[in-house]
Amino acid sequence: MDATVLTNVADALPQFTGYVYPNERTLHPLWSVLIVVYPYITGLVAGAFIMASLVRVLKVKALEPIYRLALLTALAFMLCATLPLLFHLGHPERCFEIMLTPHFSSPMAMFGFVYAWYLMAVLLLELWFDYRRDFVEWSKTQTGLRGILYRAFTLGVTDLSAPALRLDERMGRIISIVGIPSAFLLHGYVGFIFGSIKANPWWGNVLMPIIFILSAVVSGMALCVFAYLFLCWARRITADMRCLDLMISFLFYALVLDAAIEGLDWLHRLYSAEEGIEVLKYVATSKLFYTLLIGQACLGTLVPLLLLGTMQLVRRKISELNRRRVYFSSAVLLLMGVLAMRWNVVIGGQLFSKSLRGFMSYKMEFAGHEGWWLSLALLALPFFILTVFIKYFLAPDLPTIENVVPGATPPAGSHPARA
Amino acid sequence: MLRPRPMQPLLKMPPQIIRLVLLTIGIVCVYFTARFFLTPPSFGLHGHYRFDALRDIASREPYWAGKTACVECHSDHAEKLAKGEHKDLSCETCHGPGRAHVEDWAVTLPKLNMSLCVRCHESSPSRPKWLHQINVHNHYTGNLCTECHVPHQPNEVP
Amino acid sequence: MSEQVTRRAVLKNLAGLVGGILAMPAARTCKAGVQNVLASTNAPAGYDPFQHKWLMALDADRCIGCGLCVEACCEENSVPEGHWRTWIERYVIKKPEAGSGKTRGETMVDSPDGGRKGFPESLVPKEQILKSFFVPKLCNLCEHSPCTQVCPVGATFDAPDGTVLVDRNYCIGCGFCIQACPYGCRFFNPITHTADKCTLCYHRITRGLKPACVEICPSQARIFGDLKNPVADDPLQKFIAGNVEKLKPSLGTGPRVAYAGLDEEVR
Repeated sequence: MDATVLTNVADALPQFTGYVYPNERTLHPLWSVLIVVYPYITGLVAGAFIMASLVRVLKVKALEPIYRLALLTALAFMLCATLPLLFHLGHPERCFEIMLTPHFSSPMAMFGFVYAWYLMAVLLLELWFDYRRDFVEWSKTQTGLRGILYRAFTLGVTDLSAPALRLDERMGRIISIVGIPSAFLLHGYVGFIFGSIKANPWWGNVLMPIIFILSAVVSGMALCVFAYLFLCWARRITADMRCLDLMISFLFYALVLDAAIEGLDWLHRLYSAEEGIEVLKYVATSKLFYTLLIGQACLGTLVPLLLLGTMQLVRRKISELNRRRVYFSSAVLLLMGVLAMRWNVVIGGQLFSKSLRGFMSYKMEFAGHEGWWLSLALLALPFFILTVFIKYFLAPDLPTIENVVPGATPPAGSHPARA
Repeated sequence: MLRPRPMQPLLKMPPQIIRLVLLTIGIVCVYFTARFFLTPPSFGLHGHYRFDALRDIASREPYWAGKTACVECHSDHAEKLAKGEHKDLSCETCHGPGRAHVEDWAVTLPKLNMSLCVRCHESSPSRPKWLHQINVHNHYTGNLCTECHVPHQPNEVP
Repeated sequence: MSEQVTRRAVLKNLAGLVGGILAMPAARTCKAGVQNVLASTNAPAGYDPFQHKWLMALDADRCIGCGLCVEACCEENSVPEGHWRTWIERYVIKKPEAGSGKTRGETMVDSPDGGRKGFPESLVPKEQILKSFFVPKLCNLCEHSPCTQVCPVGATFDAPDGTVLVDRNYCIGCGFCIQACPYGCRFFNPITHTADKCTLCYHRITRGLKPACVEICPSQARIFGDLKNPVADDPLQKFIAGNVEKLKPSLGTGPRVAYAGLDEEVR
């Protein structure tokens, strides 16, 4: 070995600067873009469900037009939630072990049960109670595949008497009430996964689960606004402005709360300046300049705050068309901003070494396991599923009974089967 | 002769609830059955893990033979080694993996390269002071360390 | 209309359920018995993990940074390229700039290829070096391992004999344990697609051999022993009775690996 060779192998690799533990010298972070997509999807589910439960639990009648759309959106995204995880696991064929031998000291072990509970006992059940009457009615009039589907969904229960319908209404309300903490659990445990890692000074923080939940609510509500406006535009129908204005109000206040808590997190970190603060500051300002300062903070939080805040003040003076334009842009900005937040937390937390002496850089590939293509496909898939859902469950050609007021008797003559 | 009593209805529940309860019980039964059959044996015996894993991990074949294996036959070298500063070194540290030789004495180990001596004894400001260190370029321009040093007993002169 | 559920039907179902539950332990024992007969390994017989408590200690004052231990480990355990179960770090602390009023200058740390081929000459000229030393690193054998705490399926665990192991036939490869280890000792094995780490050469210590790194180390920088069965003049007992410290104690992981000769700059 030639002693005069002055090269330092680690420094020769441009992607690592300073000192990085040898096992941290990997081509891409261990938890890469798929683990960014997963909390984003479950966050959208939780947020959309919260929007829907405002109708049932707080009895906000003005939001009823988007009740079913919000629930179907939540379901569409919920069905895709496990996919990024399955793609990410080293042994996806062993994924069922998490249900067989869950290690209850691990927040990740909650996943199997929380997911199953939320999908079956909350989302599907609430949708079933809400749609039950329609399934019975539609199964009588629709033919072919749709008819079979609706008949199957009735689960063989065809009782449409007044007590049965009252029970449906009551059950829907109970499930909504149970569903709110369940939604917090579904997404909060993900935040807890990160918050519990004391080895990582960026992640291991008591505010992490709270920030995840709050930004999830914001993203889910923004998704509902986005989906509603898009659907109205696609079907060439006028949006219910009262409903829309109210959705935006709730979204705005959720955003204020979310921005306040995230701001508090950073304020506290900078103020108490614990070990590693220099490293975190460098990551936040240099490595994550575009995604955090520009993407999450400016475009994803400040701009929507200003736009929606202004709307809250001068709403009456702005025309409906312009209001819709502002709402749509804000919703898009918020959706991108929350995605950026997930990126900053997950990827950002893996850009510095646990030795607190060095940094890693990663370049994302396009194809492959951890590439852009797969993530975009996984994010697009729920929208395709939602389109199918809308066709089968929210189509305008279906006799509309429940679309406006859940549980109410329809006006006379709206359906030949009912007198 | 008493007429048999008609069967009494035990539960008077709405049909939706009955269907859902039956469905739930069905799913839960499927889950517990699957869990029973698919949980690996020895799981949970002494903790939340598969106890047989200890056996699996321990069943790997060792690679390095260990000094004790060498000393069994080469006790003369070991005695000499014990007299000098290299007394705590393992034979394989310098001579390389010896298992092949332990299992079949006909197999000989490769001849040693002097770069091995340099690897430990090259002078470096990071190395502790108790180690004898040399600056290779100033120390000796010849080829073999063994011209002046005896590895098995470094304080001896050849 | 509501369905009529008879008492007899309910009782029949309940009886069936109870019978099924009672039969399960018996069925499980039979199943385990059959599977034990079918499985066979050449693991060392007669090793009882409850009779041992292994510990490794590291003396940074004795480490000469030759890297032979890293090489030995990689060969013993077929560690894939670019990953390390043990590695060596070199700390070079510079002298403070004249007139700066500081006690020390910058600290440079490096670990080229984990130290596997030794260390090339430092980029810092000798005159500028205040202090320099090597620190070997490996799994810290934590008492309250954060890594085993977070495993969702129970694939990594604290064995009764003090080692922390990964069951590569059960690991799902989620990577949570790798994220949770504060010492950087775990990695994702690209060949087995599971988490991987130092096993204290479990297959050697269960046969009465020493871990490969301890065997090969030329300078007694690695001290290994059994806390439950100390030998006469046990070097481990003597070592841990001296001035030792642990890494990152404030995290509460309870690391058991004891270090001597560390500096405040070591993370």
